[in-house]
Amino acid sequence: MIQLPSNDFPVTLAFPPQGHWTQPHLALPCLKAWLHASGYGDVEQMDLSVEAFDHFLTAESLTRAAEKVQRRLPLDRFKEDRLPLGQMRAWRAAAESAASAESVIERVEAAKAVLRGQDHTVEAERGFWDPDRYIPAVRTLYHGLRLISSAHYPSELTPHNFTMSYSNDSSEDVLAATLDEEQNPFIEFYREQVMPRLIEREPRVLGLSVLYGSQLIPALTLARMVKAALPDCHITMGGGFLAYIGDKVMAAPGMAECFDSIVFHEGERPLLMLCEALRLGEGLEDVGSLAWWDRSDPDHPVAVKNMAAHPIKLDDAPAPDLDGLPMEKYFSPRVVIPYDVNRGCYYGECTFCTLPTVIGPGYRTRSSETIARHVVELRDRYASTHFNFITDCMPPGMIKDLPERLIEAEAGVTWWADARIEPKAYDADGAKRLYESGCRKLLFGFESATKRILKMMMKGQSLKSVVEVARNCTEADISVTFYAMVGFPTETREEARATLEFIEEHADIIREVSLQTFHIDEVAKTYKEPEQFGIRVLDAPGDLALYHDYEADQGMTQEEAAEMFEEMMASFRRNLAIFSGDNIFYFMQKSHYFLHLASGETPQGFSGRCADRTEARAQRAADPGLKVSPGLVTVPLDFSYSEAVRTLSDPLARAARPDFLTGRYVRDADQVAEEQLPPLEVKERFLLYDAENGEFVELRDGGARVLAALRQHGTLGSLIEAQRRGGASEAALDRLEQFAAELHRLGVLRSKTPTPTPSPALASAQG
Amino acid sequence: MNQNKDQREDAELEDSHDESSEAPTAAGGEALDLEGLDLTVETVEERISPSETNVFDK
Repeated sequence: MIQLPSNDFPVTLAFPPQGHWTQPHLALPCLKAWLHASGYGDVEQMDLSVEAFDHFLTAESLTRAAEKVQRRLPLDRFKEDRLPLGQMRAWRAAAESAASAESVIERVEAAKAVLRGQDHTVEAERGFWDPDRYIPAVRTLYHGLRLISSAHYPSELTPHNFTMSYSNDSSEDVLAATLDEEQNPFIEFYREQVMPRLIEREPRVLGLSVLYGSQLIPALTLARMVKAALPDCHITMGGGFLAYIGDKVMAAPGMAECFDSIVFHEGERPLLMLCEALRLGEGLEDVGSLAWWDRSDPDHPVAVKNMAAHPIKLDDAPAPDLDGLPMEKYFSPRVVIPYDVNRGCYYGECTFCTLPTVIGPGYRTRSSETIARHVVELRDRYASTHFNFITDCMPPGMIKDLPERLIEAEAGVTWWADARIEPKAYDADGAKRLYESGCRKLLFGFESATKRILKMMMKGQSLKSVVEVARNCTEADISVTFYAMVGFPTETREEARATLEFIEEHADIIREVSLQTFHIDEVAKTYKEPEQFGIRVLDAPGDLALYHDYEADQGMTQEEAAEMFEEMMASFRRNLAIFSGDNIFYFMQKSHYFLHLASGETPQGFSGRCADRTEARAQRAADPGLKVSPGLVTVPLDFSYSEAVRTLSDPLARAARPDFLTGRYVRDADQVAEEQLPPLEVKERFLLYDAENGEFVELRDGGARVLAALRQHGTLGSLIEAQRRGGASEAALDRLEQFAAELHRLGVLRSKTPTPTPSPALASAQG
Repeated sequence: MNQNKDQREDAELEDSHDESSEAPTAAGGEALDLEGLDLTVETVEERISPSETNVFDK
């Protein structure tokens, strides 16, 4: 092994926006550890995704964003008699910004502190553990990102996605997006926050990890800027998303101006070979799994693709190295450490799965002994006892063996992982042992409750075993999440509803559902053998297109599947406790529910608290002490906000906008939508926003008058008394009380003493 | 921005008597035509799209 002086060959690995914000991603720590173990001592890693979230969610950035919204989208710009679909999204952004900007700016730092557990020195007093402080804090951050998005309208940045008006399907679009400073929020972020550091460091290699479609434009934006500033830096990109479309990216005109190479599949060995070749001044022909530009003729770079590299022996790979990641910036009170127990899938039969494309062929695992040893090392090194085991599923032998090794090593950790239904491994004793080893949550690939569909998917699982495994886990206090899919080829509405009913009938053992719509990418079996699934795959325009629309002779159309997704989600919102009301924010922040479980809460206890919270809110009544929330903002509007949101939620409107994660983007859909979705007529409306509550509420003129009167009188009781003295009938007063109760349920009116919501987790969290 | 907000830091609920420059007003003792006013309250439950439910990816 070589041992390089630390300043001899600086390498920078960067995770571009946008990825989840609650915990580090695994890719860069694995690569850094491998390079380091191979002698490369100067490897820096930057999580630019969480850095960007942190940067945007500051009072300073949000103030600049609010000013920009005022310039770009002033609310009084929309003074026409009608609001057509083409202006609706902009108007919504303007209205929301007008109502929420000031409050969000005031509260953003406190909200970040709550999510990070930095708001109180005493653990049990921290807002993260109190839903009445946690949820408003999450909402504040979401609204902050909406403000950032509005400033870069029509781009949208959320904790889960980043989309622009530009489509990932077209290299022309993607490259144009990297230069569009009006819409691309990352250009300024890179220029101010990232480029000075890179220019000072002058890395010889910059590796960009592109796992998701939402990272493609941000990654290329950075690559282009670095290429201009540091022409001698070799810029390579890799990761799951490029494993799908890397060949197309290499073939697209203009890409050679942004970067130098792409690593396909697993990155450890190719990245090391690349660094070696560059360090020694050798050619890149022998670097495995690398596509690169031969720049022998600088004016005409030629794309070259090398042979595949051998996968590494995973059990020999070092533990991930998280050094240098901005641990304090993740939006969680405790760092949940990602750790790869295996790569690939030992089962490998599911017809919808394209995993081998992402990680490369074959299944490899670390031994249970290695895993337990690494877990203890990482626990001590990063002072965290919480782990997310990154795996598609563990084989039965590992499910039995790993708990024994973790217990034997006295790891004292808690963990969650994906899993496959294996009834023999997840029997009652096995589940108990898993709990004892720290397992608190398992996510199973359930997909469907219809045998016919499961057979087409080649899932190899029965509904009886599904229930058995979920019940065993639940009885061991391990929370169960199901992945479910809607719209698999030939699936009917009735079959999708059967899946919905099955899940809801078993809501006592299924706490969460990650519901996805089926889509076809170019490496899926459904794409390669469409006739087996009774579908015709349609051509996809665009030189980078990955996803394809399809037609089926039976079952739901893609549009019907999208509608069914809405129907199922709406039902889950009613019938699963963690999805009810605003409790769903626990589900949407990766690992946050898990941290409650890790702190001593049981799945049943947590679900019960969520259900109680939703119920308590629904039961709020019009007590005389109700007052207008002190932070309430009222903005008069010329159109109905709720009508606009409903119109924009129509599948026709949604299909007109690129969505990198779901692949549902129908070209020319904007014209169809404009024709079929009527414009909004002028209506006098009032938009209410309260920072403590964070939901937008719309009133009409009458409601706004009553609200103003309530403000003047101080309390509901005082207003009622005044109205009674003024001769109001009992029926009229009853109407007033109903209105007040509704506003109380929505948080617009507050009683003096908030209802306490004790958390059993708090006591154990204190330890 | 057209808005009506209590600007005070740490405002106490019982002190909340903020005025609106834009929203309709009703004088303290004036009777409201409660039976004639449109008291419709509309909220929008934010749609959870497939891109927001895919929270457990690797």
